[in-house]
Amino acid sequence: MTGRSTISPAAVPPAEATIAAPPVAPTASPPRNRDVLRAASIAVAVLIVCIAAYLALAVPGAWFPRAAPKSAGVKQLTLVRGTGRVVGNALVVTAPDAAGIALVSVTTDFRSTDYPGIDWSVSGLREDADVRLLWRNDFQPEKLASAPIGVEAGRTITTVLAHDPAWIGHIDGVALAIHGTLPQRIVIRGVTAKPMGAIEILRDRLGEWFAFERWNGASINTIAGGKDYQRLPLPVLLALVVLASGIVVVAIRRFRPDAFRAATPALLAAFFLVGWLLLDARWTWNLLRQERDTAAQYAGKDARDKRLANDDGPLFAFIEKALAVLPSKPVRIFIASDADYLRDRAAYHLYPHRVFFDPRSNALPPATDLHPGDWLLVYEQHGIQFDRAQGKVRWDGGQIVNAELKLVEPGGALFLVR
Amino acid sequence: MEIALLWLGWLLVWMFGIAVLLALSTRTSTLSDDGETAFVIGAGFFVGQFLLTLWMRALAVAGISFGRVSIGGALLAATAILAWLAWRRHRNMLVDVLRAAPRGLAGSDLPKEQRALRYAIVAWLALRFALLLIEVLRRPLYPWDAWTQWATKARVWYGERTMVPFVDASQWLAAPGTNLWFDAAPHYPGTVPLTQVWSATLLGRFDDALINLPWWLTAIAFGFAVYGFLRGRGLGRVGALVATWLVLSLPILDAHVALAGYADLAMATYLTLTAFAALRFVQSRRASDLVLALVLAAACTVIKNPGKIWILMLLPGLVAALVPRYGLRLAGAMFALAAAAALVLTRTGLTILGYHLQLDFDMPWNGLAEAYFMFANWHLLFYGALAVAVLAWRRLLSPELASLTLIVAAGLAFLMFGFAFTNARAWVEDQSTVNRATLHLAPLIVVWMVLAFRAWALPRSPAHPVHEPAAAGA
Repeated sequence: MTGRSTISPAAVPPAEATIAAPPVAPTASPPRNRDVLRAASIAVAVLIVCIAAYLALAVPGAWFPRAAPKSAGVKQLTLVRGTGRVVGNALVVTAPDAAGIALVSVTTDFRSTDYPGIDWSVSGLREDADVRLLWRNDFQPEKLASAPIGVEAGRTITTVLAHDPAWIGHIDGVALAIHGTLPQRIVIRGVTAKPMGAIEILRDRLGEWFAFERWNGASINTIAGGKDYQRLPLPVLLALVVLASGIVVVAIRRFRPDAFRAATPALLAAFFLVGWLLLDARWTWNLLRQERDTAAQYAGKDARDKRLANDDGPLFAFIEKALAVLPSKPVRIFIASDADYLRDRAAYHLYPHRVFFDPRSNALPPATDLHPGDWLLVYEQHGIQFDRAQGKVRWDGGQIVNAELKLVEPGGALFLVR
Repeated sequence: MEIALLWLGWLLVWMFGIAVLLALSTRTSTLSDDGETAFVIGAGFFVGQFLLTLWMRALAVAGISFGRVSIGGALLAATAILAWLAWRRHRNMLVDVLRAAPRGLAGSDLPKEQRALRYAIVAWLALRFALLLIEVLRRPLYPWDAWTQWATKARVWYGERTMVPFVDASQWLAAPGTNLWFDAAPHYPGTVPLTQVWSATLLGRFDDALINLPWWLTAIAFGFAVYGFLRGRGLGRVGALVATWLVLSLPILDAHVALAGYADLAMATYLTLTAFAALRFVQSRRASDLVLALVLAAACTVIKNPGKIWILMLLPGLVAALVPRYGLRLAGAMFALAAAAALVLTRTGLTILGYHLQLDFDMPWNGLAEAYFMFANWHLLFYGALAVAVLAWRRLLSPELASLTLIVAAGLAFLMFGFAFTNARAWVEDQSTVNRATLHLAPLIVVWMVLAFRAWALPRSPAHPVHEPAAAGA
């Protein structure tokens, strides 16, 4: 045991005991529940002050504006430049125009002073994407004003224009411009003009903290704690409240040593643990919602049905058919697929066969690496052709092997190399 | 029936580990020490699990197929023999511990508020583990590396009923006629996949969800071990339970249980337990603690490749504890030597364990700040650790805390070196590895934070008793 653990109160040096004596005098001490009340009051007061300070920094105009948010959905959007189409309730932009610009506009009708914030709902962007907000006002209708839009976690964030000199008069239309090539499809769900009052901002922050964070490919690496991007992360706010509450307690103790029965470290620990508990409660709530989600996908299913219920269910269905054709003893199989995910998943489903796949590239090895008796499984891969008459498979770079088609399905095929 | 076999098979592994530890212990009074029972229960799982994989490796070398009898039969026999030995050695103490257990668990000797708090924490943890269990048993292997480089081996070894070799692409392509297999990381160690093979062997089929039961058991057993260690360090029952909750509630740790299939949870827990066992040995000088530390250290080296480096990070702290007179100076010299070696190595541009060393210092501060302070990965851990480091700085190198402080410092230095001087910096900026690498050290940071806070707080609150009413071994 450590030396410290064996210290009993009687063993404490007299000086320390004397210092600590006044707070524990039974007659003078306030009851323990009063400590709890006082500590809770301090924490709540500090929380209110912190929120007020945040709002003072974050509210760009009136704290309690009369205007309500104005939203425009996908039906009101016009794709002016670039290629795309409406899918469900989103505009999916697949490519910019020849000049490298994708432009989406919407006609608006509001006063700039009522709406200092514009929030485009756009996802699928690169972190360094060049995205701009464009608008026209009735004050200078011939002039097209613009401001950069921030991108965080692949999504646009609210653009605050309260201090932009061009954000004046009546706003007749706003647009979103994305410059450069698009690495993937951009999904645009609409745009909202926001009054950005105190209540709305608080509601937005709460929405960010308590948004359901479903398991995703990045969850094993990072837990965002709600939405991917948060203007005020909850751990930061709670840490600030814990720190400030601790400082207040120390300050009170300095002037009124008998204000609390509990020792200062105990109060500091209590603030910290309550902060931790609040974060843990949010995390537990998220886990509960995740269980409902997981149950909807997998509950009551056996191992095979779970695989079919996975994102790669169609691939697994094809692999099942391939396994019925393949010998039961492990054989060498090369896998070709354009998508890393499908290629790697196909390999996993095919084990314990002796599978070969490139985990990070869709390139197949040279034809000389394939030998008679080897197998080749192709799933959703471009650039591979089969000449049934000659019994030859060709792929990029003029690679050719003799092969026999053993299984063909929409999107997939299995060959035996001859 | 298969599910029952799965649970029974893993219970057997756990019992085997506990029997090993009890048989190793020569002191009969040990189990009555504070937290000892909980520590033995917790550490038992890790010992049992690692020895299970060693036995499976031995079977593979001997050419004996994996099966319920070849693995489970041997474990059962060994457990029976070891349990008999332990019973002979500690019969009276075991009876006492079993008799005292209901009282200790009920906490009837605790003040009302502490008892209520204790029940509340246990209920909260029970809810957490119920949610995690449902997720583990329902969700098939989900995260990417789980099915490209870990369970790949398990599927093949289960299918072949033995350990067959995985080789890199060039070797695989060059040997068409031989029995060689390939996956995304053929050089990764086989310990974790072997645990999945055992699950599949018990089930009689490879079930992508059920094979992951050991991840959930790992977290449960880890809770016992953390609680037991902290009780042994003098924390009260409520204090140790709170600290255990802090460890088990870390969201990234929970995510590694729920999304089972990576080796990082095993790396974190085995490393933490190695440090615990080594620190216990430094205090107790018992051979059983030394053997436990060595076994767990050996496990660290075959769970993940960085485990070989992680083990070295324990050395400064242990040297400081083993040679109290010169310990701090020796530890300081080790840090200086490590810094010099790092400087030389970064100039060479070497690649070690897949990490390319480079001299240009470029710490990804933004990525680190996001990972540790802004995202929800760690609740308030790093805020708390920083605050405690400031508050308790005078005591961090006291005899009581120096070992743990140096272990945590060396671990953090290793992480920061990796982030600043290797290609891992990119994985901090994109948040892909920073938290997984930190997870290995995080439980030790929690334990250090709690003990350092106590060291700071104790002299200031003499009115609050350090010891609660005793309950044997609880």
